Amino acid sequence: MNLTPEQQELGRRNFLKALAGTPALAALAVGAAMKGPVKGGPVRVGYIGIGGQGRVLLEQTDPAYADVLALCDINPLSLAKADDVLQKRGLHPARHYTEWKDMLEKENLEAVIMAPPLWMHADLASGCLEAGKHVLCEKMMAWDYPGCERMRDTARKTGKILEIGYQRNYNPLYQAAHEGIVKAGQLGDVYHSRIVWHRNGTWRRKGEPPSPDYDPSRWGYPDYDHLINWRLYWRYSRGLHAELASHQVNIANWFFGAEPEAVVSSGGVYRFPEGGREVPDHVYTIFEYPHGRTAVFTSIESNAYDHYYEAFYGTKATLILRGETEAYLFDEGGGARPTTVDVAPKGSGPALDASESRSAEAAGSFSGGASEKVDRTAAYRLEVSGFCSAIRTGKPLACGPDRAIGSAKACIRAAEAVEKKTTRLSV
Amino acid sequence: MNDVEAVLSRGQQVSLVLLRTLVGWHFLYEGYFKLLRPAWSRDGAPLAAWTSAGYLHAANGPFAAFLHRLADSAWIGRVDTLVAAGLILVGLSLTLGLFTRAGCAGALALLALFYLSQIPTAGVPQPQTEGAYLFVNKNLIEAAAVLVLLTFRTGRIAGLDRLRHEPRARVAPAQEAAS
Repeated sequence: MNLTPEQQELGRRNFLKALAGTPALAALAVGAAMKGPVKGGPVRVGYIGIGGQGRVLLEQTDPAYADVLALCDINPLSLAKADDVLQKRGLHPARHYTEWKDMLEKENLEAVIMAPPLWMHADLASGCLEAGKHVLCEKMMAWDYPGCERMRDTARKTGKILEIGYQRNYNPLYQAAHEGIVKAGQLGDVYHSRIVWHRNGTWRRKGEPPSPDYDPSRWGYPDYDHLINWRLYWRYSRGLHAELASHQVNIANWFFGAEPEAVVSSGGVYRFPEGGREVPDHVYTIFEYPHGRTAVFTSIESNAYDHYYEAFYGTKATLILRGETEAYLFDEGGGARPTTVDVAPKGSGPALDASESRSAEAAGSFSGGASEKVDRTAAYRLEVSGFCSAIRTGKPLACGPDRAIGSAKACIRAAEAVEKKTTRLSV
Repeated sequence: MNDVEAVLSRGQQVSLVLLRTLVGWHFLYEGYFKLLRPAWSRDGAPLAAWTSAGYLHAANGPFAAFLHRLADSAWIGRVDTLVAAGLILVGLSLTLGLFTRAGCAGALALLALFYLSQIPTAGVPQPQTEGAYLFVNKNLIEAAAVLVLLTFRTGRIAGLDRLRHEPRARVAPAQEAAS
């Protein structure tokens, strides 16, 4: 999605104007069921799967909320990099484990934050829940639908908290868009959404094993390439649908207040067939929602001009959320009111304040200048902190299993449709 | 009817017991909340562990030098525990009306310590406080209220002290009412 500077300015102002009167978002998450004050220090956590995504979460773990006691990964290089993260942040070192069961047995943990390859989510999350630990599991929920159900049912059975890591749910921009625009009916009737994630380059990662004799086969990876490039193989991954689309389908589900009933999918390995890659590098999917609504997802690895965004096309207006940091609103009619939005730390995290009393010029500074641009990484920080708050005080989760399972199910079916060359599948 | 009840009207007795209960609850919850920490607030945010060091560092009264040294000493942890425990004991005493005179004495001692640590001499609002005070602040007013309670022996109007002093009142309420 590319907009001229004039369009960006207009869309930004419209978005801000539409939010006027939206209550402070920090207050929206305060549920009646919360307890307080509650005795206890930071939640004692361990990490399982501390690769790239695990380290993103580790970097955004606020020590006031979580005390990182242990790290578990089958790749020693990932553990070493995680140590660097802790050291750079001035946090105390964490003990290392290769086997997650050892970590649970030897450490006095309350919770586990995990970001292992997708195929391990159901076993690890369910195992940790069964062991009495709360779990924050990186998205997508699980590799298959029975795995998702097992995770959800185990959380219910054990009474432990299970959160799925869709950071957009914690992003103040998305919360504002939902509360102030979508829920307020400012888009009118929305029949069509476009969710796009375009990149130009191979997904394949290169790296040397931690030692010449390093053998990951006992964990199910025949060689080091399969471990670091697990996203490219069906056994471990659901490809672009799981890694990218599920984020955006989760938002479409949230904004539509519904889940897809069917998917129409196409795709293939068109540009990067070398190295035995199995998952497509180009996918095109229509997610069909009830009442004639659709979300059209495209993800390509041959052009990054559009980059990534979620757009909702309503009968009254169009809402565009781009790159997790920018929001635009374009009326089908027009009109403007002077207003502004400040994104600033408030209480335990960023919140948006909308005011009709400020000047339109101030509104223009939303994505730079006096008012801060939304920090994309702040959503991860809020996600981890929110998970810890839920454990200590019962604060409602932004994305528990009941919400996450809807997007997972649809994306699993979309990936299956591509893999099996089946055009249309019911969800 | 005991000697206290004999000289006070019903309204005066109720007022005094109400005052004692409120002061007691104030002490009790302050102490409980200090002991509770580290804790989390209702909106899901962690609260920092409590220590009296900050208060002692800000001391400006006649004992300022001693309190500043105390804040930096290795004893500060024990001081914190003692203060919290003292608040809870005083709070329980005044709320329940048990050993009320000792509770009042303890309350006066603590309030005197708090007042003398930070005597309001500025007359303008100070950081992290509400209102403007000159010589008289809420600690001093609460101390005066406790002095009233100490004078009137409110534990014998309503409280467990009454059972300590008049055990037979439990078994012969009708006889007492008749007298």
